[in-house]
Amino acid sequence: MITDQASGAPLRVRRTRRSRAPIVGNPRPDPVTRAFTFVTEQPVSLHAAAVLRVGYGLLYLVYLLREFPNREEIWGPGSPWTPDLARELLGQTGWFSILTLSDSPRYFEACYALAVVTAALFMLGWHTRALSVLFAVVVTSFQGRSVLMTDGGDNLIVLMAIYLALTDCGRRWSLDAARRARPRVSVRTQVPRQGPLPSPSVRQQAILVQRSLRTLLHNCGMFVIAAQVCILYGSAGLYKVQGDLWRNGTALHYVLNLSLFRPWPELSQFADEHRLIIAAAGYLTVLAQVGFPFALFSRLKYVVLGLLLVMHIGIAVLMGLPMFSGAMIIADAVFLPDRFLLRLTRAGRRRRTDATGYVAPQSGHKDSSTLDRPIC
Amino acid sequence: MMAYEKTEGVRDARFDRSRPETERQTQLSRPAQLLVACAVAVCFTVAVVHVLMEFLYVAPSNTISRQYSQQINAWIDPYFDQNWQLFAPDPQSADQQISARTAMAGPQGVRQVGDWVDLTAIDEAAVRHDAFPSHTSQNMLRRAWSGYLDSHESSDESTTPQARMLQEYLLNIAAQRVAAHGQHGFDLVQLRVTTTPIAPPSSGASVSDATAAPSSVRYLPWWKVEAK
Repeated sequence: MITDQASGAPLRVRRTRRSRAPIVGNPRPDPVTRAFTFVTEQPVSLHAAAVLRVGYGLLYLVYLLREFPNREEIWGPGSPWTPDLARELLGQTGWFSILTLSDSPRYFEACYALAVVTAALFMLGWHTRALSVLFAVVVTSFQGRSVLMTDGGDNLIVLMAIYLALTDCGRRWSLDAARRARPRVSVRTQVPRQGPLPSPSVRQQAILVQRSLRTLLHNCGMFVIAAQVCILYGSAGLYKVQGDLWRNGTALHYVLNLSLFRPWPELSQFADEHRLIIAAAGYLTVLAQVGFPFALFSRLKYVVLGLLLVMHIGIAVLMGLPMFSGAMIIADAVFLPDRFLLRLTRAGRRRRTDATGYVAPQSGHKDSSTLDRPIC
Repeated sequence: MMAYEKTEGVRDARFDRSRPETERQTQLSRPAQLLVACAVAVCFTVAVVHVLMEFLYVAPSNTISRQYSQQINAWIDPYFDQNWQLFAPDPQSADQQISARTAMAGPQGVRQVGDWVDLTAIDEAAVRHDAFPSHTSQNMLRRAWSGYLDSHESSDESTTPQARMLQEYLLNIAAQRVAAHGQHGFDLVQLRVTTTPIAPPSSGASVSDATAAPSSVRYLPWWKVEAK
């Protein structure tokens, strides 16, 4: 029994404890107790957190590989933003970057390789706790080294990488989850334990406290991520309503004519010729951004998220900003309830079974109580 | 992966449903409860303050953000620095085209000046028909120039450390690009920036009212290239 508890399997511990401890306390606790129980016991939106992990890990990996031919020019010791300049600016702002620790090209290549591996493993959810911290260090380091070459997309990835390190983003759809699900009791019982064990109650308490803190941190992280997205859209909208060009409906005409953001000039030209649509899309953008935080608490959020998705795909293709748009689309996913995400994956699997004729075993998740609570 | 995930979910659920909400708390001992309660208070406060600070930092300047700017900056800088003025308040309504030319000392001390190399055109060509353009073409030169403008106001004299750093950066970019273009052995570089306003949308059939304002040209001083 003690070995099992010592294995650290929290479920086991909680169950054993339950069978021993008499249930005290009233069945309808006061709101403060309920809130306390909720934030320390119910990790919200674990699937959405997993989507963010996979999304940002993949996006950063693709970005690093895309810039492989230019890595030296962007982050390397031979960049026009020389290591000395970078160090001076980092010193002024108080930012830390592993890349400025040495000017050796070999050290830089090692850092680049570390970044690629970190992004890939973070995406897969391998030892996510540690990898999420490493991912945040890598992303901030690369950002700090080349801050003058970045745009809003990079900025958002940095913020999300830092916040994701607080969350339990490896609990679902990850290698960690797969490993946890594998039966391992037989292996455990064979391992002889060494040294004196602390008293079971202390161990249990430590495990319970750790679990509570972990859940608490996750919930706070998810709250901050959601709030960050609201602040982003809210302030982007607030600035736009101050602009004359957004007010008179011609803003998108100018956006479509910026020469560095016209990868497909024919397409931009075509869009620009449809004045009415351009004006309507401009107003819709402002409305969706300003209204975003208010739409989140109803089903209207699916409409607004859909609008923003279309808008971001438009930006990605027309303006050649897939990284920026990708970062925004992934951030929006924080508002998708787990129920919705699971329905999506189920629909995807059904389509695959229809194609192959294989019927995947179905279990659980029909009952809504099996789902993690949505963030809003 | 889904299958594993599901079994875990089911296990959790079976457990959760059979368990009254308060029971967990009775499991924690008093000191442990106190510890977790303190953590809840701290985390909750930090999260709420952080979100408030972020909002005040990125929202358009207002009475509150002006009064508490010091505290707000101390909280946000450097890692949570952000700016979401995406094409706002107004999108940029002019294109900047940056060219560079070089000079080197000739045989009798006569300076030989090279041809203008259109650096922006190189960036534009790289962006064209690329679904995932590189930051080196879309952001590097563009942001270096806007940073230079911000730090220099109207004069080309670098008075602040920021201004000097951006001047050096711009010079380095120009020198590298011109060298990649095949010019070597130069010791001076000059930049020329042509700003062309984007024509306003023509209203209806008449094309004549859609005339763009004329371009303006700015020549930067000759900068000395440090021998490496």
